[in-house]
Amino acid sequence: MIKINRQKLITASAVIAVAALTVTTVPAQAFNPRSKQPGLTATTIKLGITLPMTGIASPGYNKIPGAMKAYFDYVNDNGGVNGRKISLVVKDDKYIPATAVARANELILRDKVFALVGTLGTASTKALTSSTQLSRRGIPSLFVNTGWSGFANKKAYPTTFSILPSYQMEAKVMAKYIKDNYAGKKLALIYQDDDFGRDALAGFKTAGLSFDLAIPYASGSQALPATGAGWISKLRTAAPDVTVLFGVSSATTALLGNAFAAGWVGKTQFILGSVGGDATTIAATNRGLVGLLNGAKGLSFAPAPTDSSDEYIELFQTIYAAAQPKETFDNNVVAGMSNAFLAVQAIHAAGKNLTRKRLINAIETQGSTFANPFLTPLGYSRTSHVGATGYWIGTYGPTGALTADGGKYTVFTTDSGNGAVVESTYKRPAMPAKGLPN
Amino acid sequence: MLKKHPLITFIIFGFILFLISNRLDELIVYHGATVGIYVIAIASLILLTGYSGQVSLGHGALLAIGGYAAVLARIHYNAPVWLTFVVAVLATAVGGALLGMAAARLSGPYLAGTTLALAIGLPSIANQFSVFGGEQGLSFDIGFPPASLGEDFTQYKWYFWISWSAALIAMYWLRYVLHSRYGRSWRAVRSNDVAAELAGIHVGRNKVLAFTISAGLAGLAGALLGMTISLVSPGVFPLLLSFSLATGAVLAGVTTLGGVMIGAVILVAIPEIALAIANRYGGSETIITNLPGLLVSGLLILTVLLVPNGPVEQMHARRAKHAKSGKASHSPVELTVRVGSKTWSTKK
Repeated sequence: MIKINRQKLITASAVIAVAALTVTTVPAQAFNPRSKQPGLTATTIKLGITLPMTGIASPGYNKIPGAMKAYFDYVNDNGGVNGRKISLVVKDDKYIPATAVARANELILRDKVFALVGTLGTASTKALTSSTQLSRRGIPSLFVNTGWSGFANKKAYPTTFSILPSYQMEAKVMAKYIKDNYAGKKLALIYQDDDFGRDALAGFKTAGLSFDLAIPYASGSQALPATGAGWISKLRTAAPDVTVLFGVSSATTALLGNAFAAGWVGKTQFILGSVGGDATTIAATNRGLVGLLNGAKGLSFAPAPTDSSDEYIELFQTIYAAAQPKETFDNNVVAGMSNAFLAVQAIHAAGKNLTRKRLINAIETQGSTFANPFLTPLGYSRTSHVGATGYWIGTYGPTGALTADGGKYTVFTTDSGNGAVVESTYKRPAMPAKGLPN
Repeated sequence: MLKKHPLITFIIFGFILFLISNRLDELIVYHGATVGIYVIAIASLILLTGYSGQVSLGHGALLAIGGYAAVLARIHYNAPVWLTFVVAVLATAVGGALLGMAAARLSGPYLAGTTLALAIGLPSIANQFSVFGGEQGLSFDIGFPPASLGEDFTQYKWYFWISWSAALIAMYWLRYVLHSRYGRSWRAVRSNDVAAELAGIHVGRNKVLAFTISAGLAGLAGALLGMTISLVSPGVFPLLLSFSLATGAVLAGVTTLGGVMIGAVILVAIPEIALAIANRYGGSETIITNLPGLLVSGLLILTVLLVPNGPVEQMHARRAKHAKSGKASHSPVELTVRVGSKTWSTKK
């Protein structure tokens, strides 16, 4: 089809030859991922986060960066970490994985952050980790806000550390609770149809729990409010005694809203996964729905945000009230501040001669002993990059506050494999003075 | 140079690009790879709309077909990277041929509406069949660059090289096709399909062929886009992508391939410019999110008002006009009339 005469061919060949020769003599570019520590000076450390600040999944989650900044500013005002002050660059990915990739690229290439911290969402975190080649570049991805058990694969994700217990752990703890308290009852499950939800399915399967009705829904769907009507219709037909929701808070809102609209209230015992049970998030969409949470069961691994008797919660409440006086202190704030707290612990442990490699090494070697607000042990080691390792179970009150059943936190711990679910004997060490690294 | 030695021009252009990629900041190299992809996608749209007169508002759907074809070939058959692109082109071309058969019966707003419906509906199919990985999509991992390129050869540069190699080959081939009998036939069909048919051109067949080739190119762009994001999911091919490509084609000048780079660069540069403006004036998250759309819309309106055929076509028209008027003043046409033995001439 393309005709080339001999003269053209000779000329083209000559050009290609010269091009090839020149390319081989071009000096290697200045970029060398192992010799530089972007985002780091003698007095500053730049961290970056991408998460949904707008869009369907944003209510509640969009408070996390404010909470993190509040704690970082508190540390900065008290001298920083090893003499360095921390800054946080925040990007909005709308809970869309493709957008999260673009935002992560901006954080790494334009903002030149030292490390990512607290990226949120399984699909988004997976996509950005792969696309930006975090492992090849040696960029730490600290304490990602997802419990997908795949991040425990150190070979595939050598620089990624999770903060949440895995969703498999959560499903196993939930399964034990259901077996102990609702044996022989009719069960239904609504789950997010991606790695997040499928991880839970694997956990339920390992625990030997099956459901009479399972309803998947598409993650990031903007049509959730309408989809919820279909769930109620199926639930009404199946009439389950217990309905488990393993999804985000916008799915919980869709479930409660449609149940109320259809007059299907008090017909089933709701059990909400830790991700989807935040009352403030639900209130942000429809305050009237919060009351419908009353009596539902929920899981958490951190102290309740209303528990001012907990020294961490008391400190966080004080810091947050000063930084964000108009905002409500809730689960998302506890999550954000805990994330920042753990990041500060890790940076401190990495020492004054901070490098990305030293930071990763510090978490692997000392991470299980880092001070933190959680009520479960941390699982960080040379072989595990999983953070918290268990859950306590409680009941939601009419204001949407989750209170531990029996008046105390009874924590159950397990693993992402076939390990048993056992009651934890872990006693959390005292908080460092003023909540600062020492 | 381009007209006389197109092959050499393309090789030199590519060579310069690759040399530049060694010297640029990584972020610019990454954006450069995206420009290469947009060049292919916009060229594909210009071929369809500008050359064969068929309007497509749903080109994102064709990119999605290419992206999914490539990633499925990679995941299920462990196809080498170059083969995934071939699969993407072929699969989308087949899809385009089928769509083209329907499109050949439609025109104007009806065709625009059909393609738009496709862009809205097609990505949602991913949620219906588990093979497409639902909303979170499928991971498209092309692996690390070859070790022979050196340890410091970054992934972004690898994307840049692949994107621009594909773009240059596609543009060279497309230029050839548009200058061939097919290109002339398409232009004839676009200008006046009745006249074209009277001249012996099979209108329907030519429209389907244009749709097929355009779709094949769009599929290539889709596979490349999935490669640079390492992900193929509905979110990679939103409705906004289709509108952006249509905007890029108008900015480039929808009747000529000459301005395709302008359209592609503008599409990539606008979000950067918007961010710079927002940062300078302390813009909120809402402003940062909406400013790019506002800038693109403003530019689109200005282009339609001031240079409706695009800047390159406008430049050509002005040059031609200037050349014509220049000839008129410096070398006037000489007119000689001879009747029998008598001669009148304007020559002095």
